[in-house]
Formats: sequence, structure tokens, C-alpha cells
Amino acid sequence: MKKAKNGKWNKYLTAGVIMTGLALFLGVLGFFWTPYSTTAMSAAEKFAPPSLRHPFGTDNFGRDIFSRVMQGMGTSILISTLVVFFSGAAGILLGALTGYFGGLVDEVVMRITDALNGFPSILLTLVIISLLGTGMQNVIISLGLVFVPSFVRIVRSEFIRLRDADYIRRARMMGVGNFRILFIHILPNIFSVFWVSVMIGFNNAILAESGMSYLGIGVQPPDASLGKMLSDAQGYLQTAPWYALAPGLTIVWVVLGFSLFSEGIRRR
Amino acid sequence: MIKIDELSVAFGETEVVKKVSLDLRDGEILGVVGESGSGKSVTALTLMGLVADTARVTSGRILFDDVVLREAGKSCDKALYRKYQGSEMSMVFQEPQTSLNPTQKVGRQVEEVLLLHTKLDREEIREKVLETFRAVGLQDAERVYASYPHQLSGGMRQRAMIAMAIILHPRLIVADEPTTALDVTIQNQIVELLRKINKEQNNAMLFITHDLHLARRICHRVAVMKDGCVVEIGTAEEVFDHPKEAYTKRLVEAVPSRVHGREGFRRTVGKPGVSGDPDDRERKAGDVENRERKTGEAGSQEAETGNAGNGETTGTARRPEPVLQVRDLSVYYQDGNQAIAEEDGKDREKKFSLRVLFRRNQRQYVVHHADFESWPGESLGLVGESGCGKTSLSKAILGMNHHIEGKIVHHSVRPQMVFQDPYSSLNPSKTIGWLLQEPLRAAGALDKSLAMTKADMETAAYDMLRRVGMEEQYFHRKPSELSGGQRQRVSIAQALITNPGFIVADEPVSALDVTIQAQIMELILKLQEEMRLACLFISHDINVVYRMCDRIMVMKEGQILEIGETEEVFSHPKADYTKLLLCNS
Repeated sequence: MKKAKNGKWNKYLTAGVIMTGLALFLGVLGFFWTPYSTTAMSAAEKFAPPSLRHPFGTDNFGRDIFSRVMQGMGTSILISTLVVFFSGAAGILLGALTGYFGGLVDEVVMRITDALNGFPSILLTLVIISLLGTGMQNVIISLGLVFVPSFVRIVRSEFIRLRDADYIRRARMMGVGNFRILFIHILPNIFSVFWVSVMIGFNNAILAESGMSYLGIGVQPPDASLGKMLSDAQGYLQTAPWYALAPGLTIVWVVLGFSLFSEGIRRR
Repeated sequence: MIKIDELSVAFGETEVVKKVSLDLRDGEILGVVGESGSGKSVTALTLMGLVADTARVTSGRILFDDVVLREAGKSCDKALYRKYQGSEMSMVFQEPQTSLNPTQKVGRQVEEVLLLHTKLDREEIREKVLETFRAVGLQDAERVYASYPHQLSGGMRQRAMIAMAIILHPRLIVADEPTTALDVTIQNQIVELLRKINKEQNNAMLFITHDLHLARRICHRVAVMKDGCVVEIGTAEEVFDHPKEAYTKRLVEAVPSRVHGREGFRRTVGKPGVSGDPDDRERKAGDVENRERKTGEAGSQEAETGNAGNGETTGTARRPEPVLQVRDLSVYYQDGNQAIAEEDGKDREKKFSLRVLFRRNQRQYVVHHADFESWPGESLGLVGESGCGKTSLSKAILGMNHHIEGKIVHHSVRPQMVFQDPYSSLNPSKTIGWLLQEPLRAAGALDKSLAMTKADMETAAYDMLRRVGMEEQYFHRKPSELSGGQRQRVSIAQALITNPGFIVADEPVSALDVTIQAQIMELILKLQEEMRLACLFISHDINVVYRMCDRIMVMKEGQILEIGETEEVFSHPKADYTKLLLCNS
């Protein structure tokens, strides 16, 4: 599928593309169409084990787990993408300003990020959610805020590294404006580093979202979510192990796929 | 004693050393010269058994006396090598900064050789180290012994490295560019030291260098390498004075020497309007002014002496518009001030009260009372050792440092700079075409009257690319696809595309190979002629300066010691330091 520069087969990228592609396809599809309705209950088919009719079996209300996993995965990916997008954008902006200009702005922003880093991220999201209330956009806002500091740090260190590079000095000498230097001269050069952190951030966001749903502060029922399914399945682990396995393995699949994908890109 | 027999070394499928045969006798210094990528370092590393494991010896063998150290098809015998490394053969590396462990005291690092190879006790080892330190000219041996590498200067570190290499009196010393990273005067001392050691201990030395002057001075015999092959081998005189191979001839001619420089100088003087000739240029550019001048004496005087001599005074009289005037300029650094805030010239610290409280108002001057000017079309050479304030001065001139006293008057628009390292001076994420157009875009954004249409900028960029001798196909390439010389051409093009009238060239050729160096120097001279460009040419290589510059400024410890016409400075140096510089190169 994809060949590495040295002509060797890039196993990471191939595996990553296949796994992520499948997850994305099913997840996006899950918004529009699922084999069964995700909310339709059926007393007759409670705890049906995996079969051809229900690939992942059914849950305690007789709902098709595969359909719910599809929907939950889609929600997770959507939330994570938005989280990474917003926190990444904020990270670039703040990191660029603090790294390039230094001084007081740097001092203030970095102390705030230090403070944010000082709390466990899950505690911080809990606090924000309890202030804002539950709901998908609040999950995105709280996770986005929590993720900003790591992006700021990475972008900032890259800007510090490059602001004294010869070619940036030359650009200053030419009289290129500061914002043009920041976003046209420097930014493209940090993308390789930034891309990796985005990938890692995406994985962390998927895990964090699942964790929040598991705790009941994420996506609210009746919407399906992988974390919520896991917590529901807890009571039936012995009678219906597939109920827990399906969302659990799906999380692993998505996260592993993305890790392989980013590793493959890094090695290219 | 050492015999390298038809040695070939390959990394993967590519052979980097091809059938190289060299032999070394006791007490002999064999120089290996060649440009980067010629395989000289790989040869030496293979000889030392230090080459990476991915390298395969595909043919030939290496003999030490009669012992086969390395043979084709066999991997490196580490145990065998360990017996020889350090005690029988040792190596001096190029970078004294990186070849010593920064976390250990220098004395301990040198001791280690003795601990591994001898059975002396602690006290004897210490004595021996101190003794060797003194032998390599480290006067304050006790202090050096207890110092960390960062506490020593580059020259002292290299001496310590040499001490480490010779402490067991090895029969072979491999020196891989031992002086390249050092200042000229230090370079000279180190070379003398190596020569002295060679004489006293009668050990063989493999001296790898790209500097032909150096090879000629120190080596008994010289091998010229190119693309992994030994092109020519013979005594130093033979090779340099009567080179047989075309490549050797090219190499020898490319080296900027004072002989060649003088020829070049005369040649440029002969042509009208070329750098270095105020007389001719003035005739071309300012006939009216010439007539208006009250006395014609200066002119006739110059015509007689063929342009050399008192150019500064007559120059001032004749060329009323210098591109740059520096008057009584001092540059200083203030403790705790850094980076952009400083460069923007805004004192941000005033806002931060804590810092103001603790700020020490110490000014450290790095340039003292510089006073000079630069004329259109003229190259002004700036010579001095590292740390003498060359870079601080040029930064101040370019407006990158606002901590100055005195006055800088520019009569040029946005002076540009050409940097030393061609690998870091071009933005790697952009195409060459984009890079060349960026100065025009910037100029257009700052001054609407200079704004150009896209098509015009593209034409200008193509035109500039052609003028620096590069083909159009490079327009869409990225810097990573270019060689060092090509990058430097693009770098020059980028500096000149807005026709700034004045540029600072900070060691523009010192990171390049000799033949490329010669090409770039030609290019700069050509462009100067075409664009009537004034240039502040910073270099540590006095021969390059001689080739390139009309006037020379000698700097030491922030002071400008001497300033005058190139010819004048070279034939009658006034300052002692200048004399020292001249006789050392």
C-alpha cells in the first residue's frame, strides 16, 4: 500500500491505515445508518450471544451491540477530532506567541499552563463539567481546555528553537512582518513534530472521552458511547462477557490503529 | 609500518572507499587531502577500527607491522583492535568540544588511557598525565587536570586531546582535521606541536585535512583523494608544485593563496568599474565630480602607484556618498537581557518589577569605538579570531542589536546578510522560487511603491537565479535537494534580489569545499561588479580576504587595530597582531 522512503514496506503505516480506515468508515456510517436502531429494545433478544444476526450480540435491553458500538465509535471520533482541532489551534497560537516573543506574555501563559498541568486532568474535566453541566459540547470544551497545555509546550519549544535560525533572522532582516514570520516562515517547519503530538493527543482524547462517559459525565444516554457501554456492562461480565468486550476492544482497535498510523507517518 | 592494501569500504551497496593503498613509515607524516565526501575520514576510521558496524570491507586489508588488523570479508576484530587502540595507535578528532566528555574532569579522561593500558598506580598516573600536559604546552597543568572541558578554551581542549593521544607514545597518530575548528593563531600552535611530537617521538602520523596549505606545511608525503580513490600520492613538494593529475591541479589552483590573490587583484584592477578600483569606477560613475574636484593630485598619484596606497583619504574626497558610516560605535551586552525583546529594542523588563529589582546594570562591551565607512562597490574585509566582536559588530550594523553607543548611518535600503552555514540559512519548507520572491514581497508590504505583481516577482526571481549561475529547473526545488555550494548561491541571490546596495557576508565560503569556495568567491566578485554592491566581508581566512577585499579591517578583542588597503596591510602591517595573523597563514 504505502512504501517507505528507503523502499522497505512500511508495516506500521499499512496496518494503521487499514485499522483507522475501518474505524472511521464504521463510525461515520454509524451517524447515518446502523444495522438496527440503537435504541430499539427487544425483550425476546436480551443477552443474545454474538451470532450472524447480531455480530456482537445484544445487551440487557436486547439492543444490538454492534449498532451501538458503531454509533459510540463515531461519537468518540467526532469528539476527539474536535478536541484536538480546537486545542491544537489554541496550542499553535499560544505556543507561537510565547515561543517567538518570550517576555511577559510567555511568563503569564506558561505559568497558567503550569497551573493546569498541576491538576490531574480527569479532576480538571470533572470540575469544568460540574460547572458547565453535561452534554457533548461541554465534553469538548472541557477536554479541549485540558489538552491545550501540552500543545502549547511542544509548539513553544519548536518556536524557540527556530526563532534564532539563520533563515528566520534573514526574514527579519528583509523586513518580513512578525505574523508572516510566525505562520508562514516558521509554522510549516514544525509540522512534523506537531503532527506527532496531534496523533498522540487524538488517542488521549479518545481514552479521556471514554473515561468520562464511563464515569457518567460524558455523553448522556440514550446516545450510545463506548465508555458508557463499558460501565453498563460491568454488572453482566460473567453472564454476557461480549457486552463488555465489544466496546472495550473497539477502543483498543481505534487507539492502536491511530498509534500505528502516526508511527508509520513518523517513520516514513 | 602501517600498510593499507587496496582497501575498499562499502556502506550497503555504495563503495565510499575504493581500492586505497597507503603506507606509512615510522616518523613520517602522511597527509590525506580531499574535499568532503572523498572518503578520507572513512579510510582513517577503518584504519583505527572505529568505523560503524554497517560498513563492510569489501577488498584489501590493513597491516600493522605484520599483523593483519582488518581483512576483506571479515568483520572488525574488536579484541585485536583493543590491544592496539590507545597504546599503539591513537586518534585526534576535529571537534575538541565534542570529543571530550563534558561531565568529567579533563585529567580523569586522560588518566583513563593509562588505567586501561598500564599497571601504574594512581600517583604515578597523575604524575604522568601532568607531565604530558606540560609536554603539549599546557602550562598550568594542575589546573587543567582539575578542570571540566567547558572551562578550557578550544585550543587547550585540543591540546588535552593530543595529550590523551600521545600519552602512551603510540607509534601511529591519526589526526582527523585536528585544527579545523580552531582559530588561525591557535591552529598554528597546534600544528607546530604535532610536528614537534612527531620529531621527538618518531611516530608515524596520518594527517587528514582539507586545508592544502596546512598539508604542505606539516606533511612529508601527501595523498590526494577524490570520490574514494587516491588520485595522486607523492612528496608534498611534488604534489603541490608539480601536480600530475588534473584534479590535483584544480584543487591546488582553487586554494586562495596570496600568490593567486595578487593575480586576481591585478586582474580586477585592470578592468574598469570592478571592485577595488576607485580610480576607474570614478571615471565611469562620476566624471563630473572628478572635474569639480579642486585638486587632481590625488588622482594622478594613484594612477602612478597603480591604485595601491592611501585610498582612504582620496576615497573620502572622491566618493562623497558612503553606503555605510560607522562612527565611534560601541556594542555592549547587558546582563539578563535576551532575545527578541532586546532585538525589538523595547525594554520589556520595565514592566516586570521583580526583574528590575534584581537587574544588574552591568554592561559588557564587545566592540569598542569602531569607526569606519564602506563605499559603493567596495569589499571591506573584517578579519579576526572568534570572539573578537566580528559578529556583534555585523549584527549591530544590520540592526539586530540595539545595545549600541555611537552612530550607524546607512545610505542603503535594508542591508542583507549572507550566513556561513548554507544548511541553516534557507527555510527548508519552501521552494527556491518562493524564497527568492519573499524579499520582494516583504519590501512590497513595507513600502507600497515597491509592490510588484506576481508575474514581475517571478521574472525577477528567475533572473536572479540565472545571475547566480543556477538553472531554471531549481526554481521549484526545495533547499534539501541542493548541494552546499548551490544553497550558498541561492542564499546570495536571496540577499541581493532587492538590490540592497550593501550586504554583510559572514564567512560565506568557510563552510564550503575548496573548489566550491573558489566558485562562490568568483560569483560574489562578479555580482559586486554588476550591482555596484558594497560588502562587509567577514572571514577568519586571511587568504580569502586577500582575494576578495579592497580594504581590510583587523579586529582583536573588540578593537579595530588596523584598517587600510589590502595591499598596504599585507605588505606593511602596522599592528603586531596583524603581523602575527599574516605569518600564521
